[in-house]
Amino acid sequence: MSQDPKPPARSAEKVLSEEFFIARSKILDLAATLDRLERADGSLEALHQLKLLEQGMEILLDDQSDKAKRVQLLMSRPYDPDWRKNYGLH
Amino acid sequence: MDYIDPHIHMVSRTTDDYETLARMGCVAMSEPAFWAGFDRGSVESFRDYFRQLTEFEPKRAAQFGIKHYTWLCINAKEAENVSLSREVIAMIPEFLDASNVLGIGEIGLNKNTKNESTIFLEHVDLAARFNQQILIHTPHLEDKYQGTKMILDMLVSDARIERSRVLVDHVEEHTIQEVLDRGFWAGMTLYPITKCTPARAADMIERFGTERLMANSAGDWGPSKPTAIPDLIMELKRRGHSRELIRKVVYENPCEFFSQSKNFKAPLAPS
Repeated sequence: MSQDPKPPARSAEKVLSEEFFIARSKILDLAATLDRLERADGSLEALHQLKLLEQGMEILLDDQSDKAKRVQLLMSRPYDPDWRKNYGLH
Repeated sequence: MDYIDPHIHMVSRTTDDYETLARMGCVAMSEPAFWAGFDRGSVESFRDYFRQLTEFEPKRAAQFGIKHYTWLCINAKEAENVSLSREVIAMIPEFLDASNVLGIGEIGLNKNTKNESTIFLEHVDLAARFNQQILIHTPHLEDKYQGTKMILDMLVSDARIERSRVLVDHVEEHTIQEVLDRGFWAGMTLYPITKCTPARAADMIERFGTERLMANSAGDWGPSKPTAIPDLIMELKRRGHSRELIRKVVYENPCEFFSQSKNFKAPLAPS
């Protein structure tokens, strides 16, 4: 078997130029979804899922890295290291 | 490019799909046992399903030059029926000598319950007693992080399990690192909405390298795309990755992992 080949380095300019229209399209989809929610009947204030989306969007706009992982963790149930004891499984 | 799909549910696909996959370069595949979309009612239903996986599907695949392998288990979605699960686990050894069986799978968790964990541990024991490789299903969406960590806890607590003989599937950005750091193989599932896109899979390859990492389509009866691996190949090519790197992920790595099973034979001559 071969050794682990290294990926090519792509400059930020190249990544942005290649990904810009894809990202633009996804932002528009998200914006249109929020518009749809606003037009729909009923109050959104108590909806847990909406709060998760808002917190996810905050992650997109902050200055920290690992955004995909952090959005995933935001949308995840917590892990309890004592789960096995709580289930009575030894 | 020739490739292997390490996780695809061909019982749910048409013969036309086999032909399309062959045309796109698929030379081998492995099909873990999974949920039929409804709960099966008896152990005999599973016996028929395992006959389909070990007798019928290999012949259907062979019509198009594709080598078909399989993994056997009762899926986590049906593990709440503990008594049926135990009947199925007791019956599985009848099929372990079939020529296309690679091991026990896809075992795992769904909603991370006590019964699912109990049946998972009994599957792991079965694999250990019969020296079988293991293919793992990790839960979806909000259950994935918790469930993946629970699965890893259970695997590492059994000293009989060789981590290099376990493939943990459906990894995403928040689970891949721990799976690889603990010495297991990891599979990225290219699946619309609930799992991973080709672009995100390419990102994970760039971040974590290609060691012990592969990709699959998990094509099944739900919204899924059996030709997702060629989509990943296209994405990696678009980003300028070498043919060598792409081949390692989509062909050499599955060969290296599966070769730990006595039944696997590499479908192509070494390059």
